[in-house]
Amino acid sequence: MLRGAEITLKCMKAEGVDLVFGYPGGAIMPLYDALEGSGIRHILTRHEQGAVFAAEGVARVTGKVGVAMATSGPGATNLITGIADAKMDSVPLVCITGQVRSALIGTDAFQETDVFGLTLSLTKWSRLVKSIEEIPAVIAEGFHWARSGRPGPVMIDIPTDFLKAKVEFSGPVKFKPHARPSDVHGESTFGETLITLLEQARKPVALIGAGAKLSGAIDDLRRLLDHLQIPAFTTVHGLGAVDPEKPYYLGMVGMHGTRAANMALHETDCLLVFGARLDDRVTGDPSRFAPQARIIHFEVDPAQLDRVRACELPVIGDLAETVPACHAALRHVKLPDWSDWRDVACGPERAELDPRGLAQPTIRFLDELFSRLPENNVILADVGQHQMWAAQRYHSSSPRGFITSGGLGAMGFALPAAIGVQLARPDTTVLCVSGDGGFQMNIQELATVHRLGLPIKMVIIDNKYLGMVRQWQQLFYQRNYAETDLSDNPDFVEIAKAYKIHGKRIGEEVVREYPVSQSTGDELDRFLRSPAPELLVFDTAPEANVFPMVPAGAALSEMLLEED
Amino acid sequence: MHVFHIHYHNTQGTLMRILNAISRRGVEMPYVQAISIPTGHRVTVLLEVNVKQIGQLSRDWHAIVDVMDVRAGAPTAEMLELTADWAAAPHPPASAGVADPTRAARA
Repeated sequence: MLRGAEITLKCMKAEGVDLVFGYPGGAIMPLYDALEGSGIRHILTRHEQGAVFAAEGVARVTGKVGVAMATSGPGATNLITGIADAKMDSVPLVCITGQVRSALIGTDAFQETDVFGLTLSLTKWSRLVKSIEEIPAVIAEGFHWARSGRPGPVMIDIPTDFLKAKVEFSGPVKFKPHARPSDVHGESTFGETLITLLEQARKPVALIGAGAKLSGAIDDLRRLLDHLQIPAFTTVHGLGAVDPEKPYYLGMVGMHGTRAANMALHETDCLLVFGARLDDRVTGDPSRFAPQARIIHFEVDPAQLDRVRACELPVIGDLAETVPACHAALRHVKLPDWSDWRDVACGPERAELDPRGLAQPTIRFLDELFSRLPENNVILADVGQHQMWAAQRYHSSSPRGFITSGGLGAMGFALPAAIGVQLARPDTTVLCVSGDGGFQMNIQELATVHRLGLPIKMVIIDNKYLGMVRQWQQLFYQRNYAETDLSDNPDFVEIAKAYKIHGKRIGEEVVREYPVSQSTGDELDRFLRSPAPELLVFDTAPEANVFPMVPAGAALSEMLLEED
Repeated sequence: MHVFHIHYHNTQGTLMRILNAISRRGVEMPYVQAISIPTGHRVTVLLEVNVKQIGQLSRDWHAIVDVMDVRAGAPTAEMLELTADWAAAPHPPASAGVADPTRAARA
């Protein structure tokens, strides 16, 4: 006879879980009581939001299911932002919450919330466990849905009496989903239409999103792009999917994408989309998005098709199947000569006005930092101006090397996520770039960093404002900086010291020279190679803006390239 | 008005996810009927939606884990009659014989 808590942990172990993040409390106490000897390592964070973002960090860098645990009531509700983040960015995540005793459910008991109801619209699947006997099947099904198709978050809510009760346990079970008439598999008959569309194209381009990484189709995709030799660009989540040294690669596209990428996307007459959902940050004004383009959309989730505009050729299926099929269909086809179009789209006339970012100290600082990173690295960015600058300057061919909260844009994401990444990748240099606003949202996780001795390299771009909001207020609200002033920030170096983490503050002057001085270089090298956690605060001027920028409601071709 | 029949396995939350796909778009649901059928369950909804919303809803429903199928249908006379009655009825209904009709609202 085993307790429900032990059964839960054994079933999780059978699903490959060896690391969970969480925060204990009354309803989930039995599960914590069973952790010892379970073979599952639990990491105590200092806020449940830290736990769920850390679980996401593991999932985003490995592709495995991340797991977070919390107690009922406020513990569970504190997971919600992370669940929403996982939903928006297709992150495989399982959240296990304790719930009040089954007899008390629905009575507004102490620390009771209807977390099942609260997360219905945010989860791919969820379950309020109704008996101890259900636990093995629920765990198996939950993990299946978290990782299958378009990955996403799952919530499993377990009343505390079922965690404490005992039952005979015959072992974990396997889940077999119902067959659905609407289930579709890799489209194997799209070749003819694809060839026709490409033969008629004069200005084809390729847009690569997160789906290319999630499917494991990166190598196949790169071979296809090498074959096509058409201008290619990525969403923020697709960064690293294309080798940045390829002459046809144009960088990131969208609201803060490169000039060349945005122009190419606006002018194209044939858009191949691989694993991107064409969200509004990429399209600009949907009614003026790629006005001449016929769209060929490779996507595993049919719900993402036709959201912006009808596509001429939907190819529904896992990119791991559809991309090789596409390449096979085109291998012996004589496609048009697109070299003139490529020369224009990828030519020097469309490059950034300031390609080395020499006018912008933060860009130069990030360039310098990124160039000194050891080869084996992962960069995380929080949300804001620093995020966009970091994304713009990211030039690596590591598909899971740049991690950020994209679809939800949740500030406070990066530091706890970096904890998950570092634990999942102990031999990797993990660089966590935050703004002064976002860093404070989960600053308590410095305690977790210190306790575990994680050698995370934390950078705060400190401009003493909620920078991205301030930028919008400057450009569109006549500089009415309402409630974005953070000039009374605490001393982050002193806070780090209180958490027994070494910190240092530097200013823009260190990057005024180009290249930087020997002493600056040595300091950055020391920071990046320290075996301990480190904090580096970069003081920078408040009124620096991210360009290019496509204003809300504008077409990609209407991007602002600099301030007036 | 458009009618949709969504076939689903009646697992926890599935019906709510189907209806949530509608409500999150601010679309009203003047008629909803869920019944058991030999192959599972079926919910029928009557909605005032445009072509784009139809496409979005259909794809959202298909993406729900335990939804098996989505079919379009035609409004029946009964649906339209019930919808009209629903639209015409005061919300909340007045209670007969209560001295202070606002007491219930303050309770």
